[in-house]
Amino acid sequence: MKLASLQRLVRLNVARDIRGALSSTFGVTVGVAALVFFVALGLGVGAIIREKVFPVDARLVEVVPSQLSLGLLGGGKIDQAAVDRLTALPGVTEAYRKMNVRVPAVTVYDGDFFGRKLRMGLEIIAVGVDPALVKADVQIGDFSDPGPGQPIPAVAASRLLEIYNKTFAPARSLPQLSGSMLAGFMFPIDFNRSFVTAAPAGPIVSAQGQVVGVSDRGLLAGITVPLAVAMRINRAANVDAESFTAVTLRVKEPSAVPRIVTAVKGMGFRVDDQERRMAENAGAAVAITTSAMALLSVLICILAAFNIAHALSASVRARERELAVMRAVGASKRDVFSLVFAEALLLGAFGGLVGTVLAIAAAAAVDFASSRALPEFPFKPESFFIAPWWLLLAGVTLGVVAAMAGAFLPARRAAQLDPARALAGQG
Amino acid sequence: MISARGVSRSFDDGARGAVAVLDQVNLEVAKGEFVAVVGRSGSGKSTLLNVLGGLDTAYAGEVSVAGRRISGLTDAELARFRNREVGFVFQSFHLVPGLSALENVLLPSLFAAQTTPRARGQQVLEQVALGEKAARLPSQLSGGERQRVAIARALLHSPSVLLCDEPTGNLDALTADEVIGLFSRLNREGLTVVAVTHETRLRDAATRVLTLENGRLDLP
Repeated sequence: MKLASLQRLVRLNVARDIRGALSSTFGVTVGVAALVFFVALGLGVGAIIREKVFPVDARLVEVVPSQLSLGLLGGGKIDQAAVDRLTALPGVTEAYRKMNVRVPAVTVYDGDFFGRKLRMGLEIIAVGVDPALVKADVQIGDFSDPGPGQPIPAVAASRLLEIYNKTFAPARSLPQLSGSMLAGFMFPIDFNRSFVTAAPAGPIVSAQGQVVGVSDRGLLAGITVPLAVAMRINRAANVDAESFTAVTLRVKEPSAVPRIVTAVKGMGFRVDDQERRMAENAGAAVAITTSAMALLSVLICILAAFNIAHALSASVRARERELAVMRAVGASKRDVFSLVFAEALLLGAFGGLVGTVLAIAAAAAVDFASSRALPEFPFKPESFFIAPWWLLLAGVTLGVVAAMAGAFLPARRAAQLDPARALAGQG
Repeated sequence: MISARGVSRSFDDGARGAVAVLDQVNLEVAKGEFVAVVGRSGSGKSTLLNVLGGLDTAYAGEVSVAGRRISGLTDAELARFRNREVGFVFQSFHLVPGLSALENVLLPSLFAAQTTPRARGQQVLEQVALGEKAARLPSQLSGGERQRVAIARALLHSPSVLLCDEPTGNLDALTADEVIGLFSRLNREGLTVVAVTHETRLRDAATRVLTLENGRLDLP
């Protein structure tokens, strides 16, 4: 049978019982809609966790000193020699050193803060890093040590800015800030001063800090400054300015990370993968929930396939004589099979398409309701959903596959129909 | 035109086991003949017609139609054979309800390898005097008109033989006469017609009458 003829007959049969056709596709529509909706939700929430809440770069390995020294085997402090050995590991492309500012510091701010009056004192934790680690996010200068008496370049963590915008600022009626607004902001820093520990020995050294950018790699609860600045401040305070707090290794491929981790541990150092583990745990929780909902959706589609099988079986029984006449005027068994099967395909594709569109509409409705009804919270996205092209295609395909599965037996039964008996009314 | 040799067909009838409906039937129909097959109900007339038309394949023996041996053809080959060489006319018309008269006539073309022009459908409708009712649905036609649409459908591909199963069984006497007249005209135009019937007038219109009794054909 020619394709045009098949299309003609399928259109005719579907149009003859449009209500029955819609009823058959209802289950497929619901199943596909649920699948696309929940998988898109899982992808969206997973992306928020990966990119916003725990922005972990899979190619970075954070090396920290071991809590106990292994003597001749190494370990203990990370000095420049250790950094050189880590850099020489096969697969490591770069090593970014980090050193905490090892003297206490506070900021006491009293002045204009983006159009509002702000009076606040905060303990400051600062870490110095090799500039290359955050260079891509620096908007002012080259993130080098400007020297004593000059404003210290500081990079803020993007997550800290998010928490400020979503919780602190609304609670204190402070303005919402963006990274570009914050760049250039000056604030005072008093080194060798603390609000929480006993007053350290030595005089308070006052300086100015200047926010030069916002970065995912910035210290979450503090500021990130150039490594040379941290070393200079530590040296001036007569504290350790030689050993590093941590080294971030960049490896060529994420697949090489386990091997690097093993080598690092073999050298007597530890790998700080707490954040990565939290990201993985959160990601796994989302993946499990998404999989459960996707499985439920597939189960709905399987039930829908049974429904289609039932409806098509009834339809074939009702049309036995008509199908027999078709056989009499030249339809082969294959033609009859194709006809019934193509009807199901059309219904499945329609159900899949409608289900996919419904899922997208439901996702848009949830996003709209979220933007209106949900209070602001850190990392609250504009959309909770990601619906890539393959998911939309998978939705339509699932509808078609469910219909095909449901149609197979009725189509085969129709093809095997004995036309002579059916025409005699004995089908 | 039609040759059947040693054709036997039986059906499984549950407790009674296999019941022979056709028993070693031999039949020869020449081109241009109008043959009426008569017999009591259940004598196997319709089964014989279905065997000759390639609609029933579970028989023993050999059947040739229009010079082609149809015994042993594949399903696809038999479908092509029914589409090109045979025209079926049934007692209950068996028109597709949602299709117009013209679309019903064109139904065989949907299963043909080559496209049949709509004009050909219109032409055969005019041949059965229904050219003006081409757009009507079956439900808008009388019984006689529906049967004429069914005859037009059977004629679409200019078949070698018209196989009619009680074609006047559902028609009143006047309408049956019209349909019988139509068969006679088509036969005079050269079409081979085989009709199984109880109808005396149809039997009288035939050029030869065969009687089927207890699965055996009583040849004159």
